[in-house]
Amino acid sequence: MGANIYRNKKPALVFLFPAFLFMVVLLYYPFFKNIINSFMQLKQLGAAATEFNTPWYTNYEEMLHDPHVWTSVKNTIIMMLVTLVGQVGIAIVLALMVDNISRGKQFFRTVFFFPIVISATALGLMFNLIFLYDKGMVNQFLEALGKQNLTDWKAEGIALITMMAPVMWQYVGFYFVILVTGLNNISDELYEAARIDGATTLQRVRYISIPLLHNVICTCSVLAVTGALKVFDLPWVMFPKGMPLKTTFLTGTYMYYQTMETKNVDYGAALAVLIVVLGVVLAKVVNAIFKEKDY
Amino acid sequence: MMKKRMMAAMLAGAMVLSMTACGNSGNTGNTGSSDNAAGSTATKEEAPAADAGQDAPAAEPAASAGPVELVVTTTFAGEDTNAQNYKDAVKDWEAKTGNSIVDTSATADETFKARVATDFETGSEPDVLFFFNGADSNSFIEAGKVVPIDEIRAEYPDYASNMNDDLIPASLVDGKRYAVPANGIWEAMFVNMEVLEAAGVAKPGADYTMDQFKADCEKIKAAGYAPIAAALGNIPHYWWEFAIFNNQSPATHLEIPENAGDEIGQTWVAGMNDIKELYELGYFPENTLSATDDETFAMFTEGKAAFLLDGSWKVGGIVGACQSDPNDPATLDVEKLDKFDVTYVPGKGDRKATDLIGGLTSGYFITRKAWDDPEKRAAAVDFVQHMTSDELVPKFAQHGASALKNAPDVDPAQFNILQVKAMDMMAGATSLTGVMQDIFSGDCRVSTFDGMPEIVTGRVAAEDAVAEGLEIYHNQ
Repeated sequence: MGANIYRNKKPALVFLFPAFLFMVVLLYYPFFKNIINSFMQLKQLGAAATEFNTPWYTNYEEMLHDPHVWTSVKNTIIMMLVTLVGQVGIAIVLALMVDNISRGKQFFRTVFFFPIVISATALGLMFNLIFLYDKGMVNQFLEALGKQNLTDWKAEGIALITMMAPVMWQYVGFYFVILVTGLNNISDELYEAARIDGATTLQRVRYISIPLLHNVICTCSVLAVTGALKVFDLPWVMFPKGMPLKTTFLTGTYMYYQTMETKNVDYGAALAVLIVVLGVVLAKVVNAIFKEKDY
Repeated sequence: MMKKRMMAAMLAGAMVLSMTACGNSGNTGNTGSSDNAAGSTATKEEAPAADAGQDAPAAEPAASAGPVELVVTTTFAGEDTNAQNYKDAVKDWEAKTGNSIVDTSATADETFKARVATDFETGSEPDVLFFFNGADSNSFIEAGKVVPIDEIRAEYPDYASNMNDDLIPASLVDGKRYAVPANGIWEAMFVNMEVLEAAGVAKPGADYTMDQFKADCEKIKAAGYAPIAAALGNIPHYWWEFAIFNNQSPATHLEIPENAGDEIGQTWVAGMNDIKELYELGYFPENTLSATDDETFAMFTEGKAAFLLDGSWKVGGIVGACQSDPNDPATLDVEKLDKFDVTYVPGKGDRKATDLIGGLTSGYFITRKAWDDPEKRAAAVDFVQHMTSDELVPKFAQHGASALKNAPDVDPAQFNILQVKAMDMMAGATSLTGVMQDIFSGDCRVSTFDGMPEIVTGRVAAEDAVAEGLEIYHNQ
């Protein structure tokens, strides 16, 4: 009698239902509605769709000819590479260095993690001041070193770097903490045995730490790539409307621009579908490349 | 077993209820407010009762039965000259009536306009709004979501009776008047006299031409300053308006062309190309395509740029920049403020420099939602009457126009030096033409507003950008 309670799964279903209902109402319904909206004519945000576009795939056709779509997809892919190399890569180096020090580990964990807890909008405003053309921190510093002319850090050729550097900086600490936790799970006995066998620090890293961190690095890489698709607030605060010359659009910021600024709502819905498709495809690719291993 | 099932069902039920309750608390902020309002009605009834004795004459037909909470949105926020006047006026009204205002005002930009449009679409519009009376208000007027002044007057004959009806702009949708104006606006050219003096340039006068302007810009540039403070990648609006106006006349400025190739369309193309020429001559700041309006405005106030095209509301921004504490008028550096002046935008062809852009472009609307709410109707009417009274309108209008029938005399002593200069400039105006971008509004402007950097850099031909915008306008 008493054991039956473990076989009866119905109570679990009852508990799962509210969460399922919330997901349906707040995620799946808007998602499918958005797909339908991408084929409809929508004059304003919040307005009911009036009729289907003629032809119904107009927005998808327009996407193919819209140079800003390609700019935003290109920039998003660059952002992914930057997050992979800049965020995960730097986080690995920092984690390995911190793991090799005997004092102050907790201090560095806190220091590197801190940018995560600051709002991206606040960071965007801060970096706006740092890269300000007139009297910005970087230009003042260069002026003090003797540079004569001011540099426009948001000018066309350099804007992408100015945009991506703060994004990269903000999330290094996140992956750093995950990797440090991964390193802590590696048994000290392995390092001890290697040390007795005469392995140098670099050899211990190369042949013990990195291989045993493989699965953690894979998880970080998947998170970084999928996270890059969602980056929005910091770039929008620093480079609204894809400034300058619409060269800094990411897929997210371009979708927002079309929906909120130009009020081309149904086109924005189509761009949202593109983002989802891009996300699913890239997640598959990344999962295939960074396949986890069983040890 | 049965007990355990019952317990599981009860727990699940409690979980659903608690989640529903969470949902409700967010969704029905209004309900909560209503409850609070009801609560406050009960508690405040004593206070207004005490006030009622004092303010009995002011109890007027528009006074509401009990304390009411009105949601009001306006553009009196941020750097707007009247932001503080608005706060003071609201405070006075709340004290007088016992009612309260939930203020959702924001700086007048495209985001604000989008928010208001969305609020109307989703049925969460405010009770009263001070908003643009041009094409920006078309969507909610078409939807019948605001009440015409005449309909209000049928029940409240004194509503806006202190205004000259001929000066209240009619809606582009149906020709009816909806918005009671408080203050007019003008657009002109602010100058930093310190920069002009350093470059050996005299203050532009009433007969200033575009050729003289270019010659002055050349001198200013040679002296190491940016001649024009403008962020073409962010707010090209004022240059857009005047560049087109300079190729037209006050009589034709408000006509929208059929296409880029017709006679008026060509004046638009010429206007865009005029801005391109100024850009190519290097008269805008080096970072004009990547800077924000705030950045170029700071260049102007800090003595790094000479000319700034902007509106009457910017007087407050300049005054604020001359105060050590932007919120405390007592900290105004009068000497610094005196280095700023305001004059006419250089003229060209049939447009004299003294032909200005401006008018009564905004006003107070009462929404149908508030009008149909028996508790709010009287309060909304009373609030608009208070904000557009003979006493308050001159405070808001300052150096601008108003629609008052009997505008009281103003004492120049109550104005700062820049406001006095603005009044002098306005005294010399030969015409005041409406703002064309208020008619040519919405996504049709994107190709020439957001697209201005592409136009001035030659990546998009001015003709193509104008044609794209006009096509969207005519398909709307």
